[in-house]
Amino acid sequence: MSTPTHTPLQGVTTEQGHKTNDLVVNIGPQHPSTHGVLRLITTLNGEVVKDMEPVIGYLHRSKEKMAESRSYFQYQPTIDRVEYLSSFYDHYAFISAIEKIANLKVPKRVEYIRVITMELNRITSHLLWFGTFLLDLGASSPFFYAFRDREIVFKLFEDVTGARMMYNYYRFGGVNADIPPGWLDDVRKFLDYFPDRLAEFETIVNKNPIFLDRTIGIGQLDKATCMEYGVTGSSLRAAGVPLDLRKTNPYSVYPELEFDVPVGKNGDVYDRYMVRIAEMRESMRIIRQAVDKIPGGDTAELKKLQDEVAAHEKEITAAKTRLAVAKKNEQEPDAKDVAKAEEKPKEINPDWLTLGQKVNLMVFKPPAGESFTMVESPRGFLGCYMVSDGTPKAYRVKWRGASFSNLSVLPHLMIGNLYPDLMAIFGSLDVILPEVDR
Amino acid sequence: MSEEQAKPAAPAAAAKEAPPPPPPGELGKKLEAKGFKVEHLGPDANGTEMVRLQAADALKASEYLKNDCGFDLAVCCSGMDWKTHRESVYHVYGTENHQFFCFKVNADANEHAPSLTTVWPALDWHERESYDLFGIQYDGHPKLERILMPSDWLGHPMRKDYKVTDPRLVWNER
Repeated sequence: MSTPTHTPLQGVTTEQGHKTNDLVVNIGPQHPSTHGVLRLITTLNGEVVKDMEPVIGYLHRSKEKMAESRSYFQYQPTIDRVEYLSSFYDHYAFISAIEKIANLKVPKRVEYIRVITMELNRITSHLLWFGTFLLDLGASSPFFYAFRDREIVFKLFEDVTGARMMYNYYRFGGVNADIPPGWLDDVRKFLDYFPDRLAEFETIVNKNPIFLDRTIGIGQLDKATCMEYGVTGSSLRAAGVPLDLRKTNPYSVYPELEFDVPVGKNGDVYDRYMVRIAEMRESMRIIRQAVDKIPGGDTAELKKLQDEVAAHEKEITAAKTRLAVAKKNEQEPDAKDVAKAEEKPKEINPDWLTLGQKVNLMVFKPPAGESFTMVESPRGFLGCYMVSDGTPKAYRVKWRGASFSNLSVLPHLMIGNLYPDLMAIFGSLDVILPEVDR
Repeated sequence: MSEEQAKPAAPAAAAKEAPPPPPPGELGKKLEAKGFKVEHLGPDANGTEMVRLQAADALKASEYLKNDCGFDLAVCCSGMDWKTHRESVYHVYGTENHQFFCFKVNADANEHAPSLTTVWPALDWHERESYDLFGIQYDGHPKLERILMPSDWLGHPMRKDYKVTDPRLVWNER
């Protein structure tokens, strides 16, 4: 939080002899369209914004300091609260930073589960943005449609993680539990259902003259400005830069999946809208491939296989026990038992497990080292910089939230523009305040 | 009991004393060739090359990194408190070569460090945050003020030796 340093108020006399004065308007901290708690000290001349100063920090919960007083595992549930709309991404950044430092192996099935959940999370995040963005512009029905479909995905998350929004599902080198039987079919059902709904949304919105008037040519960003303020994510891609970490610096199993990076042309509010809608389609494409490709397939079949392996191992152990008893009693060993005891135990493909390597979570000590992990969250570059000193607690955890940098471009976009465009521009940046303040 | 604990600690301490010097990375060599004093820190666990730059060189070296090596996006600046000294860790990214690079700059005994906002304006808020939480004074920053904490907050809360002693706070906030 800082002291405002707006330009001194100036009066202007119009041609008709009317005197006008600059007006300081304090937007927020509590304001329905700021998606959190944000204060904007705005100097207006009539309807034109002359100066704007964002004041942040109202939601500062010292997430970085908290990491230094908790073990890695104890810190994990609090990560969900850094960015609650797409918290799978925060978890992925945090967990993969530890996995890199401790060199833990991660089975392929886990990575696929992570990709499916992350991309579903991108859809829910974009859907919430879609609803609230149009609500900011004054259209209230898309909000209800978006929330209806978002709830279907939340049901899917609830089946897997037990929670609608605060998942805490990923673990060091694995996931908390395997996906429930039949879940992949539920995901497929959603993938069949959702494209039509998305087309419906677009029919309502895309050619609406009011929407077009308020979005085309408003809040234009070009690449140079994006670089100047560190803007990433959909806002940067709308400016025509195909920068997506999933493509350029691939992590997880993204190299195995086929998808495109949608880009815009003009970098205005309308392009940002179109890019996000296109990204939802690409996410569905990724999920569809991942659901088909996931090693081990559906959990029901995998469970059957695991039971078979366990039963076979049990038989071998029983045969060995019988042989030992026979030897002790100096009896003739059964030929069947001899054959059985020599059989090799069946093995499950290591790619099909849900945990690469067991670690004791409460006393888990990664070796000293540091890692900076970046993922492409729905809002842009999300980074977790972690420094470990070999103790069970992190020495330093730094969150690089995309919203923090994306918000800093707001004064640049607003100065010289009309005040009524504020909510269109701010909404289109898709800033979420808990991530800004951490 | 204390003897038993001391035994396994001894070889670990010996290993810590003589770590192999990290190999110089590609960009570190480039920076050295330009005449900057560079301490190579090797790659981090993610494979990102890390170097330590001298505070006096930092501004020119970062100009070189931005203009000649293509690192046009400043990702973030993180403060670090090593108890003996404080440092800023900068992560930069090249949007054309898709490469990450990390360099660290130590703050001097009076907590002063050069601000790199003239090279990467995107660092404005990041350096403010690092000042707010660690108390590193960035010389040349356009507006070095608190950003996350209230403007009348006492002390810099991310420091390792930080204790809340503000008498204005009620007992359970102190």
